[in-house]
Amino acid sequence: MPIERVAIIGGGLCGWLAASMLARKVPDVQIIVLSAQGEERGLGIANGGEVLLPQDIETVAATGWRGGDLLKHCSASFVLGTAMSGWRGDGMPAFVPFGEIGAPLGPVPFHQLVAVARARGHAVNIANYALGALCAQSGRFAPPRGDDASVLATLAFGLTVDTGRLRDLLRADARRQGVTEAGMWTGGADREGTTITALHTAAGDGVDTDLIVDASGADSPLAGAFEGWAQWFPFDRAITALRPARSVPPLYTDLAALADGWQAFVPLAGGVAETVVSGSAQGPDVQSFRTGRQRRAWEGNLVRIGAAAAQHDPCAGLQLHLALADAARLVALFPANRDCRAEALEYDRQWRETSDCAFDYTALRLARNGAAGPVWDALRATDLPERTQYRHDLYAGTGRVVLHDGEVFETPGWVAQFEATGILPQRADALANALPTQAITAHLGKVREAMLAGLGRLPPHATLLAEMHA
Amino acid sequence: MAITGNPSATRQPEADRGPVSSVVIVGGGTAGWMTAAALSHRLAGLPVSITLIESEEIGTVGVGEATVPHIRFFNARLGIDEADFMRKTSATFKLGIEFRNWGRKGDSYIHPFGAFGEEIDGVAFHHHWARFHRAGGRDPIEAFSVPVLAARQDRFAHPAEDPDAVLSTYSYAYQFDAGRYAAYLRAYAEARGVRRIEGRIIDVMQDGHGGAIEGVRLDNGAQIAGELFVDCSGFRGLLIEQALGTGYTDWSHWLPCNRAVAVPCQRAGELSPYTRATALDAGWAWRIPLQHRTGNGHVYCSSHISDDDAAAALLAQLDGPAQAEPRFLRFLTGKRNRQWNRNVVAIGLSAGFLEPLESTSIHLIQLGIGHLLDLWPARDFDPLLAREYNRLMDLEYERVRDFLILHYHATERDDTPFWNYVRTMAVPDSLAQRIAAFRERGIVVNYRDGMFLDASWIAVYMGQGVVPQAGDPRGQAVGDASLFLRLAEMRDEYARLAATLPRQASFIERIGANAH
Ligand SMILES: Cc1cc2nc3c(=O)[nH]c(=O)nc-3n(C[C@H](O)[C@H](O)[C@H](O)COP(=O)(O)OP(=O)(O)OC[C@H]3O[C@@H](n4cnc5c(N)ncnc54)[C@H](O)[C@@H]3O)c2cc1C
Repeated sequence: MPIERVAIIGGGLCGWLAASMLARKVPDVQIIVLSAQGEERGLGIANGGEVLLPQDIETVAATGWRGGDLLKHCSASFVLGTAMSGWRGDGMPAFVPFGEIGAPLGPVPFHQLVAVARARGHAVNIANYALGALCAQSGRFAPPRGDDASVLATLAFGLTVDTGRLRDLLRADARRQGVTEAGMWTGGADREGTTITALHTAAGDGVDTDLIVDASGADSPLAGAFEGWAQWFPFDRAITALRPARSVPPLYTDLAALADGWQAFVPLAGGVAETVVSGSAQGPDVQSFRTGRQRRAWEGNLVRIGAAAAQHDPCAGLQLHLALADAARLVALFPANRDCRAEALEYDRQWRETSDCAFDYTALRLARNGAAGPVWDALRATDLPERTQYRHDLYAGTGRVVLHDGEVFETPGWVAQFEATGILPQRADALANALPTQAITAHLGKVREAMLAGLGRLPPHATLLAEMHA
Repeated sequence: MAITGNPSATRQPEADRGPVSSVVIVGGGTAGWMTAAALSHRLAGLPVSITLIESEEIGTVGVGEATVPHIRFFNARLGIDEADFMRKTSATFKLGIEFRNWGRKGDSYIHPFGAFGEEIDGVAFHHHWARFHRAGGRDPIEAFSVPVLAARQDRFAHPAEDPDAVLSTYSYAYQFDAGRYAAYLRAYAEARGVRRIEGRIIDVMQDGHGGAIEGVRLDNGAQIAGELFVDCSGFRGLLIEQALGTGYTDWSHWLPCNRAVAVPCQRAGELSPYTRATALDAGWAWRIPLQHRTGNGHVYCSSHISDDDAAAALLAQLDGPAQAEPRFLRFLTGKRNRQWNRNVVAIGLSAGFLEPLESTSIHLIQLGIGHLLDLWPARDFDPLLAREYNRLMDLEYERVRDFLILHYHATERDDTPFWNYVRTMAVPDSLAQRIAAFRERGIVVNYRDGMFLDASWIAVYMGQGVVPQAGDPRGQAVGDASLFLRLAEMRDEYARLAATLPRQASFIERIGANAH
């Protein structure tokens, strides 16, 4: 028996993301969205602005959502990476760009050349060799064209979006595709064995369903066995605000380590979304949250996506990315019929893999950095899961980056984060080390020149925005 | 500031932090000479000596002639010219492997180096084909593969360069004379300064405390010292096992074949651009067409068939007269527990053995060489480098292993005790889940770095009767009639294109790769 009815719990951004995507991609299913308590926390902490990573832009296009609509209706703005301050022991700020950093010299990776140059007394700031960082710094940018083989192809951009507006846009889109709404879910459900057959609504008439997508966040009544991450992600309070801003939005998000948490700024067209996460905030505006993940994301005919499946500390800015990845995975593995064990197993395998990789990235940012204060000292003293620690040790010891199947970031993204948190390889690659200093400095010079030439060919970001919004 | 660094790191004397200055490769088979060639290329100009020791008296394993497409990147990196290489190794092109009698007796399918069909509306082709098949469609999936169609007609040409062209949708490998390939690489390596020493190693000198290898002694009394040892000594694992006692993980409960008998024969008929693997009663036989002869062998399980019967079964199906006496080989499927142990990196048969059903051994050699160069040690041998090397190699060995097990397990054959065993044995969970995912819903479970891409898994599944019972529901957006029409057009187009390719023999002639 094929799946005919899908009920999505949660009318926040996470729920409508799934609704619109399923409606566009899976033919012949009837999709109903139910409102739920906490639905605004479907992605994790409720936030005025979120980031689509470069790879998400491809998912957006493949879904049939138009990038132009995001720019026009969601206050979207281009971002090329994250400026991180307060994360290094030496107090230096750092930039974590999307896209490439430098260029290899023959078989030797760029970051190994940097390690050698530094060991020989040359100060090298990798941000000077990443076009994304140079653009962000100087406020010049235009999206690269797909066929560009020049240095501009090393640039990768993400988009920030106003989450409220994106939700509205996707809701309108989903409704146009035939998705309907059934009011408020009470939290109750009818079951036959492990299968949920109907969801209870406030209006009284239950919603019969073949498949349930829970997008209502970490506190969902349908939550199952849970694995907590508080020992690595101890911050559990967030304050968020969306403020207007009239200047040209910067080309980067900003992430500062505080004494007891961190603060992020996500630039939007005409505004900025601010988040402060800590372990101590009090007050009426404070959202408290619990990090961790479900033992299984897909159980029976229930698929948990976004924060209903896993909630990471959001310091790596992955909330929207992970929810989008969940929705796209559900589309790709949409069950052929009601017995969906094969789909569930494979979905969970991929989800766990991605979630592990996101965990590692986040945990290394939070628990292996040089930020100052007793909170950070305690975090640094915490044992990490073996796999996570190994990534750190291999890089810190040898400058090699471990890459697993479900990686969110490739080598440059990992290298940049290690740099930004002050984890530098103790030893460079022995073969890189065999290169004469002259060859390395000449190469660095050439790369820098090429990057600067590329930068010179790009217009000021303000010009681009003026054209787009004209 | 309590930044967690590498806790174990203490300051080392500067000399220990330099790159190794002497490498000793033990063994001059395919693994030894591939390693020597790649190292001599990559380390050119650096103050490091490379020595290779081999013993003509002991000789090499003398088999290993079919490859996978990755070999082309290996050759290209060394700057090897294809036509020259093919001439000197008597090589032919390879578009895939034909599997006969695997799913059922009488079956034949080709696992090609290339995809089947084209995506329709963002949904992978195999879902559409499976639906077509469930609805009674007749065309086999191979009708939608240019390399399979070409292989069946003994045709070959290089793939087209235009990525939008259907004729660009395949890749290729080679079949070559392993002895000549080693000789070819030997000339290459020696020209780049590799010192070759002929002699038999009779003793290994080890460091008293760590057990690291310090040198080897030859039968003529000469002692060869070194810092890094690459053990390419074949099955015996002279350094990795005999000296270091690293230990071996036995996988023969999943892959029970443990012997082989090999014999070359005279070529007959058209020159086929593919390897053939024919399932027999207690194993399978390979047929590898080279320009000057055809290589043959029978891989079997000694508890199900005697050596004599195995040899007889092989000789009974040769294309032409045998050119030598049958040669017998013994092996145990599995892998070394640590392929990099102390200052020894095992590459080739010394690292592990997975039977040649998918021609993976040479690729695993290549992979080992690549990882070794990426993780090149300094003189103090940071154990992290070995740990990462072993992690990467273990992953690859396990993934290849699962792919091989699939061939035995996905069968309906119940005509011999051997087939009954492999058909009903418990397979690794990783594989059981993969098979179920494909059978139930056409899901191809795959990994980022796996050596075999989706198309390979699909080829073997479909070829051995694991056909999805249900497909991607998104595929239903295309109506039956229009799907059938699309497939018919695709099939006709593929058939037309395949027929435009020349016969392999004339293509080899045309590019000047002819060995004669
Ligand atoms: C039946 C069979 C079929 C195969 N088919 C394929 C295939 O189609 N495709 C594929 O990719 N692979 C295949 N392989 C695997 C392939 O043959 C090997 O991976 C490849 O030949 C590498 O072997 P090697 O160099 O590690 O070992 P060997 O060829 O055994 O070389 C060992 C070397 O070590 C030297 N040596 C050993 N002991 C001493 C000593 N004491 N002193 C000095 N020197 C010593 C020997 O003289 C020799 O030079 C097959 C293997 C088998 C068994």
